[in-house]
Amino acid sequence: MTARDRILSAIRTALGPGKPPAQIAAEAAALLDPAGIARPHLVAPVLPDAFALKATALGTTIDRVASMADLPQAMARYLDAHGLPPRFAMQPAPELAALDWQGLAPHQGTAPDEPTALGLALCGIAESGSLVIHSGPDNPILMSFLPLHHVAVLRESTLLPYLEDYAARLSAQAVPRNAILITGPSGTTDIEGSYVRGAHGPGFLHVILIADAGTEPG
Amino acid sequence: MNAPSKAPFKARAKAALADPVLKTAIDRTTGNAERKRAAAVAAFPEFEAARARGKAIKDHVVAHLDHYLEMFERNAAARGAQVHWAADDAEARAIVTRICLAADARLVTRAKSMLGEEIGLPHALADAGIERVETDLAEHIIQLAGEAPSHIIWPAMHRTREQVAELFKTGHHPPPAAEDPATMVQSARTQLRTKFLSADIGISGANFLVADTGATCTVTNEGNAELTTTPPRIHIVTAGIEKLVPSTAHAFALLRLLVRSATGGEMTQYTTFHAGPKRPGDADGPEEMHIVLVDNGRTKMLADEFREMLRCIRCGACMNHCVVYRQIGGHAYGGTYPGPMGSVLTPVLDGLAASRDLPNACTMNGRCAEVCPVGIPLPTLLRAWRRRSWREGLEPGSIRTGIGLWAQLARRPRLYRLATRIGLPLLRLFGRGGWISRLPLAGGWTDHRDLPRPAAQSFMDQYRAQQKGRK
Amino acid sequence: MPGEPKPTVGLFVTCLVDAIRPQIGFAALQLLEEAGCTVEVPQAQTCCGQPALNSGDDRDAAHLARQTIAAFEGYDHVVLPSGSCAATMVHGYPDLLAGDPEWAARARAMAAKTHEITSFLADVMGYAPSGRRCDASATYHDSCSGLRELGIADQPRALLAHVEGLEMRGLPGNDACCGFGGTFCVKYSDISNAIVTEKAEAIEETGADILLAGDLGCLMNMAGKLHRRGAKTRCFHTVEVLAGRATGPAIGEDAP
Ligand code: SF4
Repeated sequence: MTARDRILSAIRTALGPGKPPAQIAAEAAALLDPAGIARPHLVAPVLPDAFALKATALGTTIDRVASMADLPQAMARYLDAHGLPPRFAMQPAPELAALDWQGLAPHQGTAPDEPTALGLALCGIAESGSLVIHSGPDNPILMSFLPLHHVAVLRESTLLPYLEDYAARLSAQAVPRNAILITGPSGTTDIEGSYVRGAHGPGFLHVILIADAGTEPG
Repeated sequence: MNAPSKAPFKARAKAALADPVLKTAIDRTTGNAERKRAAAVAAFPEFEAARARGKAIKDHVVAHLDHYLEMFERNAAARGAQVHWAADDAEARAIVTRICLAADARLVTRAKSMLGEEIGLPHALADAGIERVETDLAEHIIQLAGEAPSHIIWPAMHRTREQVAELFKTGHHPPPAAEDPATMVQSARTQLRTKFLSADIGISGANFLVADTGATCTVTNEGNAELTTTPPRIHIVTAGIEKLVPSTAHAFALLRLLVRSATGGEMTQYTTFHAGPKRPGDADGPEEMHIVLVDNGRTKMLADEFREMLRCIRCGACMNHCVVYRQIGGHAYGGTYPGPMGSVLTPVLDGLAASRDLPNACTMNGRCAEVCPVGIPLPTLLRAWRRRSWREGLEPGSIRTGIGLWAQLARRPRLYRLATRIGLPLLRLFGRGGWISRLPLAGGWTDHRDLPRPAAQSFMDQYRAQQKGRK
Repeated sequence: MPGEPKPTVGLFVTCLVDAIRPQIGFAALQLLEEAGCTVEVPQAQTCCGQPALNSGDDRDAAHLARQTIAAFEGYDHVVLPSGSCAATMVHGYPDLLAGDPEWAARARAMAAKTHEITSFLADVMGYAPSGRRCDASATYHDSCSGLRELGIADQPRALLAHVEGLEMRGLPGNDACCGFGGTFCVKYSDISNAIVTEKAEAIEETGADILLAGDLGCLMNMAGKLHRRGAKTRCFHTVEVLAGRATGPAIGEDAP
């Protein structure tokens, strides 16, 4: 007998006869809190505000702008404020490449000690202030982990209220290789419980929130 | 597996109690954890409802474990991952080493996984001549110190900042410029950066195995898991079979409980689902993904009275709130898992004969069960081990004789009255004032505290005399 | 309750009260009678069986459970001045005897009418002491079994609030175990000592004259440690203060 057979047969001996898969699936679905009684409340009535409150509480900084066209300026503002060079790694996404970067110098590929990287978030989650990224041909995962400063573009129209809403979205599409929820800058409490930012991942997480859902910025 | 010392439990505990630095370190971390958890739970009024749901989700998975294992295997394979099964720790070690050797791996990075510790992965890699680099900051600290984890969330919590500074001074090249945590963390970041990028294999654990997508899920605050699993050619996951959840949404329901109970946060900084290796056209990612599903005693627990322990999501709340853990720390327990959950698990993993002290060294105060986010009745399970230890004759003769004699008396009320009538006055002879400060055979008590002198006459005798008087 | 027949109460004083501090038993008796109960103290009581139960010796524990049930099941209520012994009867007995066709139902029936004394007085009898005075500051330790297995937290505090002159002070870590744990405190005495040392420090820091708790085992542990440390804190069971009997010697002060 293989280990697989031994494990499965030990389980079946312990559990007795199983139920039909459809019944198991129904039971599993019933455990999902459709009425939302077991999840936290959003901290503000509109999603961008709720998202922003949660995200900033965790040390993420937020710049709310009107449209994608404002992105180069917002990026320049951030680099300037942190005394960062105008060179930064940029996700190879057509909508980023299409913008006029003026005096800035985006490039592709992320060096091990890259100071700054700019990428697109797939969506955001208001409950927790999380950004979501999926891996893919135009989204290298390391770009979000190697730099000291991670700047993410998030459209308000993509904000989802709860973690479950993201799970539903995920199950409606092909499973990505990596699906990552980023909730604040990297940190650690491993030395005497004192919190230090930038353990291995980015020490700074900056979100440029695009007001494309009809909500006024600010 | 990683028992730091072969000394008996009591000796280990005594040594830990004599270490004031250890106590300081424990108090700092567990005190913080307790306060932060309380605040996180208070800020989440639905916590009780969430806990009931979390418990129900885990029970559901455990009740259909075979179904979900097969579903997970199918879906993981469909994503291109290779699924392996290991009945015990030795099989799991063999599978991982075989993959490493076949890939001619020299350097392996590892993201903290208690299951990896449980199956003895660090030693197995060393035996195979493979360089292992721990990437979690705490694991990095204890790797430099040559120690095992002392806590399942903060493996290096037994070390103070000054001790960490000492370790980094010799272990980092160049040594950190200063001894404050921020500078030391920065130094570790620099040290490990090149290792991440030059590793042949990255090994992680999994907080969840998602059955309907075939994804494994890691949660970290440092971002080391993604740096461990993305650059190397091969990603190996080792996970216990109890980590299954039906779907991503179920994982989130448990994640809410896990993070609040573990660190008092609401969400870990990085929650990552890994479904198979690099796809055609992907910008980065490993070329192979292996998932090792480990039983190692779990099906045994499923079959007997420890089934409820399979709900454990390894949050560490039970140890943060345990009066015993807070005195002796994690290493004194001698197993992979310390604290209340460890005292239930270690007898499964290492055998009851070698670990009978653990379920006994508990005051049964119930605080662990009170904070457990999946409602595991830890004291009940510890009691089950005590029962088994008694039945199997593992309890020491002195205890068996003592309890036996006492029970013989207690089972005979008249004889018991007679014994108190004779015994109490005798005991009073040892007293001075109202207290007894030394009593033969009761050193366990009087070594540390005084014993109130018993009454000259028992309640029952006084009461009887009063009743007679009334009639 | 005028007009209605008085409820009968079987008082289980516990083995520790019987041997160490009978006054707690008499205080309990007094309070129950004041609350309007007819109280009896069955002579067949010894120990609830907790030492056996906690050592894994289920056979002896089950024997004591049957013996106790037989002696007490005839009363309307069973009351104990101890949260941990009460919890043993409420939760331990039904578990121990679950597989015994004859005794399982009897264990459950008795569990349903078994109470720790302060919860019985406050919740069942609606009793409040009157005319009691105790001019002192006091702090209260929540004993674990009573707190977590029976939900005893507000009742003793509510009852104590009726005692005039008593100034209650909060105890940091009031719900953390004192390190007694029955046989634990002698089997693992070094660990127990470390725990009770911290507890004693917290008690001393409140500056309270008196320490109160609802379990004599915990009280002996804390009182014994406080005395060894030379602290001046005096220790009483809650019912002693409620019954106005905290006027004489405290635990460990030389009793006649
Ligand atoms: S037993 Fe409960 S509290 Fe302890 S680690 Fe497991 S889930 Fe957390």
